Amino acid sequence: MIFSTLEHILTHISFSVVSIVITIHLITLLADEFVELYDSSEKGMITTFFCITGLLVTRWIFLGHLPLSDLYESLIFLSWSFSIIHMVPYFKKHKNFLSAITAPSTFFTQGFATSGLLTDMHQSEILVPALQSQWLMMHVSMMILGYAALLCGSLFSVAFLVITFRKIIRIFDKSNNLLNNSFFFSEIQYMAERKNVLRNISFLSSRNYYRFQLIQQLDDWGYRIISIGFIFLTIGILSGAVWANEAWGSYWNWDPKETWAFITWTIFAIYFHIRTNKKLEGFHSAIVASIGFLLIWICYFGVNLLGIGLHSYGSFTLTISI
Amino acid sequence: METLNPTKPSTPSLLKTHFLKSSPLINSTIKLKPQIRSLYNRRTLSLTITCKLKTSKDIKNKDKNVSRKILLSDLAPPVSEESGSGNGVVPPKAAGGGGGGGGPLGFVKRLPRRVLSVLSNLPLAIGEMFAIAALMALGTFIDQGEAPDFYFQKYPEENPVLGFFTWRWILTLGFDHMFSSPVFLGLLALLGASLMACTYTTQIPLVKVARRWNFLHSAETIRKQEFSDILPRASVQDLGVILMGAGYEVFLKGPSLYAFKGLASRFAPIGVHLAMLLIMAGGTLSAAGSFRGSVTVPQGLNFVVGDVLAPTGFLSTPTEAFNTEVHVNRFYMDFYDSGEVSQFHTDLSLLDFDGKEVLRKTISVNDPLRYGGITIYQTDWSFSALQILKNDEGPFNLAMAPLKINGDKKLFGTFLPAEDVNSPNVKGISMLARDLQSIVLYDQDGKFVGVRRPNSKLPIVIDGTKIVIEDAIGSSGLQLKTDPGVPVVYAGFGALMLTTCISYLSHSQVWALQDGTAVIVGGKTNRAKAVFEDEVNRLLDHVPEIVESSSLSKQSDIISG
Repeated sequence: MIFSTLEHILTHISFSVVSIVITIHLITLLADEFVELYDSSEKGMITTFFCITGLLVTRWIFLGHLPLSDLYESLIFLSWSFSIIHMVPYFKKHKNFLSAITAPSTFFTQGFATSGLLTDMHQSEILVPALQSQWLMMHVSMMILGYAALLCGSLFSVAFLVITFRKIIRIFDKSNNLLNNSFFFSEIQYMAERKNVLRNISFLSSRNYYRFQLIQQLDDWGYRIISIGFIFLTIGILSGAVWANEAWGSYWNWDPKETWAFITWTIFAIYFHIRTNKKLEGFHSAIVASIGFLLIWICYFGVNLLGIGLHSYGSFTLTISI
Repeated sequence: METLNPTKPSTPSLLKTHFLKSSPLINSTIKLKPQIRSLYNRRTLSLTITCKLKTSKDIKNKDKNVSRKILLSDLAPPVSEESGSGNGVVPPKAAGGGGGGGGPLGFVKRLPRRVLSVLSNLPLAIGEMFAIAALMALGTFIDQGEAPDFYFQKYPEENPVLGFFTWRWILTLGFDHMFSSPVFLGLLALLGASLMACTYTTQIPLVKVARRWNFLHSAETIRKQEFSDILPRASVQDLGVILMGAGYEVFLKGPSLYAFKGLASRFAPIGVHLAMLLIMAGGTLSAAGSFRGSVTVPQGLNFVVGDVLAPTGFLSTPTEAFNTEVHVNRFYMDFYDSGEVSQFHTDLSLLDFDGKEVLRKTISVNDPLRYGGITIYQTDWSFSALQILKNDEGPFNLAMAPLKINGDKKLFGTFLPAEDVNSPNVKGISMLARDLQSIVLYDQDGKFVGVRRPNSKLPIVIDGTKIVIEDAIGSSGLQLKTDPGVPVVYAGFGALMLTTCISYLSHSQVWALQDGTAVIVGGKTNRAKAVFEDEVNRLLDHVPEIVESSSLSKQSDIISG
C-alpha cells in the first residue's frame, strides 16, 4: 500500500512540475527577459527527472522486476528518457534549444501516461512467462531510449521544415506571434527555440543570417540525436532478435511490432543515406525524418492498439498466452 | 618555394577523367613524384580526380611505363607524402587503369561495370529501401497466411480498397504471404546487390581518399575549409602539441601541419554494409537449411527428434543427433499468488540410440535446451489426462479434451460415465479444469459439487460414487528446430552493433600552415559539425601567443609525424 501511495505522490509531483516548466517555457517565449525563470525551469526539469526516477525505482522494488512490461510503464520510461536527453546537455554546460523539444515531450508523455486513459493498466503486477528474461531490460530500455532520441531528432527535423517552409512562403513572416493563430505543436516549439537562440546570439545582424544559422544548428543537432537514437534502435532490435531466438524459437518472426520497428529502422537508414549526398542534405532528409516521426508512433502505439502479434503484452486489453 | 601558379596540366587524360562518384572502378591514387610540383596547390581538384574508368582509349594514350607504375601503386597503401618532398598531390594525370581490356574485350568488361554503377546509384538504393519499407507495412495491414476465400471476402472486386486494390493483386503478387513472396525477396536481393556494389564502388574509394594524410600548402585552400581561422603570433608546433593532447594524430612537416582523428568512422559504414550482408546471408541460410517442428507430448512419453522435424529448404540435411529420443519426465507450472501462470517447466531427458541418457534439463520459456544443433523450446501446454480412483478402484486415466480453443484461457474437460457406457442416454460426472491445479466437478444433473486439487487425496462423493483425484497429467508443447544460419546472423548482429556505434564518431581533419608569425588553421569533419567547431575553437584558445618573433626560429622540431 505504501508503495502505491508513494507512486501516486511521485506521479503527481512529476506531472505538476513538468506543467510548471511548460508554463515557464511559454512565458519566456512571450517575453525573453526572465533569465531567472529560465534557470528555474531547468531546476524544474531536474526535479521531474528525479521524480520519474523515483517512480521507476519504486515500481521496480514493488514489483520485483524492471517496470517495462506494459504500455503504462514504457510510457513512464519514455518520459524518463526524454528528461535524460534533456539533462545531458545541461550537465555539459551546453545551453541549447534542445530543451524546447524535450520539455514538452516529457510533458505530453507523462501527461498521457498518468491520464485516465490508462488507469486500468496501472495495477498489472505479473510478468507473463515469455517476459521473464534478462533480455527484457536490455531490449525494452534500448528500444525506448531509441524511440525517445529518434522522436527528439525528428522533431528537430519537423522544426527545420517549418522554418524552411516559412522562408519559402513568407506569409507568416510578418506576424511575429504565431501562438494566436496556430496551435501547431512544433511551431510553438520553434518559437521557443528562436527565443533561446536569440538570447545566445547577441549580435543580430540580420534576420536571414540568423535564420540560416538556426537552420544549420537544427539540422546538425537533429542529425546527431537521430544518430544516437539509431544506435539505440539498432541495439534494441538486435537484442530483441536474440531474445526471440531464446523465447519464441526464431530470431525473426515478422511479427507486426518487429516489422514496424524494422520499417522505422529502414526509414532512418534512408535518412542517413540521403545525408551522404550533399545536394539532398537538409530539406530532403528532414522530410524523411518527419516521416520517421510518424512511423515511430505507429510502431510504438499503433501496433499495440491493434493488439496483434506476439508483442501484445503492452496492449490495452492485456492478453496472456504462453 | 616552388611556383605558386596553379596551372592545370592540359593533358588529354585530365579532360576525360571521371569523377569519383560515378566511377565504378577506382584505381587507387598514385604516389606523387617530385617532378609534378607545379600542381601542388590544386589539391581540392586532385582529390576528386583520383580515379577513372579503365577504357581502351586511355591505355592507348599512355606508354607502357606509366601503366606499369599504376599497377604497382594499386597495391601500395595510399599513404603518400611522408616520403618525397612533401607535395601532397595526386596527379590528375595518373588516371587510367592497368592493362587489359582493349578492343572487343573492353565491352565485355564494361558491362558488369555498368551494372555495378547502376546498382551503386544512391537514389536507386534509397528507392529500394522505401519500397521494402512500404511492402513490409503492407504486409502488416494485409492479414497474412489466410485461405484464398478470406481475401475474396475482404478485398472484393465490387468494392476495391482505394479504388483499385482487390484480392487479385494480393494473390497474384503473393501478398498473402508477404515476407516470403517473390516480390519482397527479390527486392531484398536487389538491396543486397546494391549494398555490395556501393561498398565496392563508393565506400572503399572514399576511405582510400580519407586515409591519405596530406598536407595543404596553400593558405587559400586551408581558408576554404568548412572551418578556418587565423592565429596571429602563434607557432604551428604549439598547435600540434595541443591537438595531440586532444587525441588527434598529428603530422608535421616544415610549416605544414596535418592532424586527424576518428578515422575509424570512415571504415564503420563499410562495416555496417558488410554486417547487413552477413545478416542477409545468415537469413538465407536459415531459410534454406533449417528443420522445424512442434509436438505436444504427454508427461511420461517419448518421441524421436527426427520424426518431429521437417525440412524447410533444399539445404536442410539431417544429422546424427536426429536419432535422439526425448523423454518428457515431468511437466509442471508455477503460479503467482493471484492464480496466474508464472512459468512452465518441462523436465526432459535425451536418450541416444542405445537408450542411454546423454542430457537432462528442465526447460522453460526463455530457457531452451540445446543439443547437437537442435534446440527444444517450451512453447505450449495442454491437459492430457486425469488420473482418478473410483470407489478405491483404479487408478483410471481419463483423457481430457480441450473445450475452448479460441480465447485467452484454456479450458479442458472430461467425463466419467456413471452407468453403462453403451446405453443411449449416458449420464455421468463432468470434470473441468483451466489448469493442472484444480479440478471442478459437476454431478449427473450438471450441478456444481466441488473443487479438488489433484494431489490432495481428499475424496469427493458424487451420487454415491467416491472419487479421488490422484494426479493431473499435463502435456508439454515443444517446438524443435535446427538453424545453421544462427551463428552467421549473430556474427552479423555483433558486427552491426559495433559498427553502428563506431559510425557515430566523426572523422575530423585539421590543417595548419605557418605563414610568417601567423598560423592559418582550417578543418573539416564529416559528422558532428557544431561540436567540431566548438572543440577546435576551444583548442585554438589554448595555443600560446608568441611575443618574440625570434623565438619561433629557435624552436626545434620537437614533434614530427
